[in-house]
Amino acid sequence: MPPNLRCLLVVLSLLSGTAWGAKVSLTPDNWGHPAGEDCVSCHTKSSAGIAGQWKESAHARAGVNCMDCHQAEVGDADAITHEGQTIATVVSPKDCGRCHTTEMEQQRGSVHAEAVAVIAERMPAMVNNVAGPAIEAAGCAQCHGSKVNLMANGKLDPNTWPNSGIGRINPDGSRGSCSSCHGRHLFSKAQAREPQACVRCHSGPDSPDKEVFEASKHGMAFMANREKMNLDGETWVAGKDYSAAPTCATCHMGAAGKLPSTHDVGMRNAWNLNTPVSERQYLVVFDDGGKRELPESMSAPRPGSRVPKLDGTEAAVKMVATPQRRRDAMTLVCRECHGKDFANAFMTQFDEVVHLYNEKFGKPAQAIMQDLYSQKKLTPAPFDEPIEFTYWELWHDEGARARHGASMASPNHAWWEGMYVVGRNFYSRFLPQVREVAGSDAAGILERHLGSVEQHQWLKAPEKGSPILGVGNPRGGNE
Amino acid sequence: MNRGRLLLLPDFITRHVLFAMVFGGVAGIGFMVFLIEFDHYTSSEAFCTTCHSMELAAEPYRQSSHYLPVSGVRASCGDCHVSPGVFAATWDHFVGGKDLFRQIFGADYDDPVINALHLPEAAFSARDWFRRNDSHTCRRCHEQEAIVGKRADTLEIHQQDAKDKTCVDCHINLVHRPVPERATYKRDAWNRMVEQQFGLEAGSAERLLAE
Repeated sequence: MPPNLRCLLVVLSLLSGTAWGAKVSLTPDNWGHPAGEDCVSCHTKSSAGIAGQWKESAHARAGVNCMDCHQAEVGDADAITHEGQTIATVVSPKDCGRCHTTEMEQQRGSVHAEAVAVIAERMPAMVNNVAGPAIEAAGCAQCHGSKVNLMANGKLDPNTWPNSGIGRINPDGSRGSCSSCHGRHLFSKAQAREPQACVRCHSGPDSPDKEVFEASKHGMAFMANREKMNLDGETWVAGKDYSAAPTCATCHMGAAGKLPSTHDVGMRNAWNLNTPVSERQYLVVFDDGGKRELPESMSAPRPGSRVPKLDGTEAAVKMVATPQRRRDAMTLVCRECHGKDFANAFMTQFDEVVHLYNEKFGKPAQAIMQDLYSQKKLTPAPFDEPIEFTYWELWHDEGARARHGASMASPNHAWWEGMYVVGRNFYSRFLPQVREVAGSDAAGILERHLGSVEQHQWLKAPEKGSPILGVGNPRGGNE
Repeated sequence: MNRGRLLLLPDFITRHVLFAMVFGGVAGIGFMVFLIEFDHYTSSEAFCTTCHSMELAAEPYRQSSHYLPVSGVRASCGDCHVSPGVFAATWDHFVGGKDLFRQIFGADYDDPVINALHLPEAAFSARDWFRRNDSHTCRRCHEQEAIVGKRADTLEIHQQDAKDKTCVDCHINLVHRPVPERATYKRDAWNRMVEQQFGLEAGSAERLLAE
């Protein structure tokens, strides 16, 4: 094994908690709660669906019953009395983590677990300006997570529940919802390994990962070879237990060759792709188990130094994974099927699309918007002027689509659904709106931010025609 | 023929005795009729809500399925909260007299805030009463053996799983403002909820309860 690969695996093992996938951390005498049988008797009648799912589950086979997961202490914020037992409706990662400790620790601090913090600054404008509070409960929070609240009357607040958003803030303070991917109450391994496990949230205009995957060679191979995927396998190591195709879980979480699996779903991502401008990101791991990303433009924090976490509190840095290390981890998955040069060249194609988006559209558009705000051409309120929607969609929807399309090898999403729409928006909506809003100052603003961008120079040669539009040759000659 | 003797009654049934018996009998019947009427009247919604504090309990009741069932079979206050049988009913009303005492000399239960703050204890005490008497007032109308329900298996649940349970073990918060079970109820959360509902500043609930 080359030394740098060995070094990478050591780092990844540390990041993952343990190296090779984990079995539960409690012995069987810790489950099989005596009161659980009574639950099953009644719920088999009153809610036969979930009881039936549980009966088919690995939990049932192992003797893990309702009470093992739903038990609560009287003092718990969301404890209720039900049929004489103290239980909680919400099962949090902390509850699952009693047995699945490794997965819980990996999940803690991940982009999934912090999915509420990730959009905390954006939510008020989305909820209060563009929509209304009803959409927070039924929309935003269903993917990102709600702050679940048990009301004083003993009922869960319908503004916050039902919810299985991936970054749900639970009454016990833990963050996340295992059932977001591991559908209750069957908790099927196969289901969580399916691309379908991610579709509820990773689809639609701003992160069309379902559509991207399905339109890629990976998706094509998966559809054609589903029965060869060993989705029910006890272990699921790419290249060993299956090799027909990757799913979302394969690349972002799965074990591959010597690469350990992880429940930190963003660990192998070098870029942030859902921002106005993409930047490669460090992954900072704190000594309390928390994590956060920091942009590569900052110098990497030293182990032991204190750095603010996403929740505003400070913690000491345990280790830092550089963007390159994160990329190397992802590439190890590729390498189970693809050669080194193939994998690296693919990553180059992907990176070039991100650079193109950043330099041609993301950075200039952001700088132009900043000028419009600082010159008071726009009110500070978001979404009260058409250009604010235009700019938002440019990076949040269309720009994200282009970048995701390139990252997962869907040509259509990289181009026609992605960068083409970015370009169309930029030239046919954004720039005209800038001119409208800025009036006589527009020329100066545009020259300042686009004048030196090589790929916008074609705008300065309007006489240069092309037959592309299908109206003959505008140069006047016959075809 | 014995003087003063009427019909074939024994010697000790004198005229006075007979008069006392007839008077006593009529008075006794009258007393029973009075008790029945008294219990009947004092079990009615009209009587209970003569105290304004009870009007606050009646508001959610009037929205409940026990007030507005599709069948029109309406349960009055006493149908649920006063035991069946005239002696038990009288006793319940006697014991219930303490509520009247508190209404007059206790906290200002007519105030919706004070009322809401004290509601959990009232609910716990009512549930204790239902449990002690095996929900006998529920069973006036609801025959456990005959509960069929609209969903599959409701019958089975009531005949098998609920066999050794009493109605209020499962069915609480049907009529009045919902209160958690005592074991998992949190006074602090309740106080904050009441403060929020009435727009009071944090901590005022504790102050009001201490008054």
